[in-house]
Amino acid sequence: MTQGVPVEKKKAAARVEPNANGHKRFKSLHARLTGAMRKPTDTPERSLPTSTPTEPAAPVSTVENAPNAAEKRQVSFAQVLVYELRVRDAMTSPPITATATDTLRSIQHLMKAHRVSGVPILANDVLVGIVSIEDIINALDEGHINDPVEQWMSRKIVTLRDHFSLVRAVAEFDRHGYGRFPVLDANNRLVGVITRGDITVCLMHQLERRAEEVVAKEAALVATRAADEKAHRIVINTDVKSGDFESAGKLSQRIREVLRARGIAPEILRRAAIIAYEAETNIIIHSLGGRITTAIDAIKVRIRAVDRGPGIENVDLAMQEGWSTAGPLARELGFGAGMGLPNMKRCADEFTIQSELGGGTRLQAAVFLQKAEARL
Amino acid sequence: MKLKSATKLPALLTCVEARPLTDLAEIELSGCYISDLLSDVLANAQPGMLWVTIHTHRNVVSVASMKDITAVLFTCGRKPEPAIVTEAAEKGIMLLSTPLTTYETAGKLWKAGLR
Repeated sequence: MTQGVPVEKKKAAARVEPNANGHKRFKSLHARLTGAMRKPTDTPERSLPTSTPTEPAAPVSTVENAPNAAEKRQVSFAQVLVYELRVRDAMTSPPITATATDTLRSIQHLMKAHRVSGVPILANDVLVGIVSIEDIINALDEGHINDPVEQWMSRKIVTLRDHFSLVRAVAEFDRHGYGRFPVLDANNRLVGVITRGDITVCLMHQLERRAEEVVAKEAALVATRAADEKAHRIVINTDVKSGDFESAGKLSQRIREVLRARGIAPEILRRAAIIAYEAETNIIIHSLGGRITTAIDAIKVRIRAVDRGPGIENVDLAMQEGWSTAGPLARELGFGAGMGLPNMKRCADEFTIQSELGGGTRLQAAVFLQKAEARL
Repeated sequence: MKLKSATKLPALLTCVEARPLTDLAEIELSGCYISDLLSDVLANAQPGMLWVTIHTHRNVVSVASMKDITAVLFTCGRKPEPAIVTEAAEKGIMLLSTPLTTYETAGKLWKAGLR
């Protein structure tokens, strides 16, 4: 008797996976596989074992078995999987087995109970034969169903090694037409049984797992890009005109928008906005005009205000709260409280001011975005 | 001037005879700050407060926006230009105007429970 017949195949397929055309799909996959991997040193047919029962085939090394890099680029992902995966990854283990002295009847019950269509037979833990469902049908037909299995089992067994690649297993299925192979380990111990359905299911699971990995990797990439975007430096150059009260607040508005979009806490972005606003209004009220350069990165907001003069006579005095040289128009509008510079200093994590009469005023302030504590 | 407790906005309308200049939402105020110095407001007002001032310049809107002030109440019957009202509405700041003086307004708001 053979290891596989059409009846068994159908049953095996029905047992392991719901995909009725799994075999057909696998055939086409295999066709593509053999087409893609054919090269002088690694032709599956050439490295196949002969059908000598229980004679282990020469082990195929991973290197020989795997496609080279150039081929890997050409083969599909499923094909790569078939090269990478081993028989031990797909086989059913431990296998359902019987002993040589068991009756065919008991094996029939075993097949029914475990929904398998082939059972390896052991004698003293050594694989000595295999019984397929066809053997059982014949036994029922011919009336020897109660005989010990050793009288009727197939003794001509082709086995696979657990370290064989799945692509080789597929080739063996095509070559022998069996529905299953017993799988031996390096010590010739029976460790499992593999069917085409097992291979299909294994591939499906692997594809699913890899797909999940790809999705996770993509999500990580998106997160990294968002972080990069967050770290991306923005520089805003704002020219500020003397007496232009109407424009005051536009820069600080922009800074708030940028920081808010980056998820910066309101207390922190408010400090940066206040510094920018005070710097703007200082230039508007007191200077001949100037420029504010705002640089925002992941670490901090740096605001640098430089004006064209006339400069501050006494910087220490200017830093005192309530001291102001603002003119009547500015005061009428609510400016000139003498609180601008002290406000900026209080809001800033770093603050420097340099000024000389007749020259200009240079002011630099930084707000660190990481710091959680609120100052205002 | 910095007051605790909270009171809902529309209820304050009646006690200071205020008229809304923007749409009003029923919202809790976290307190009130009164000042006509912008830098003073930047330094000392708190988010969620009502700010009472006589200034109607658009910098009031800028400062209110920067400090996340909920509403600005203009005293002595002052009203900002329509463009400024529009700007405030866009920034989500409610504007009101009362004919009372700042002093009278402060007294009535305090009495009404805004502290």
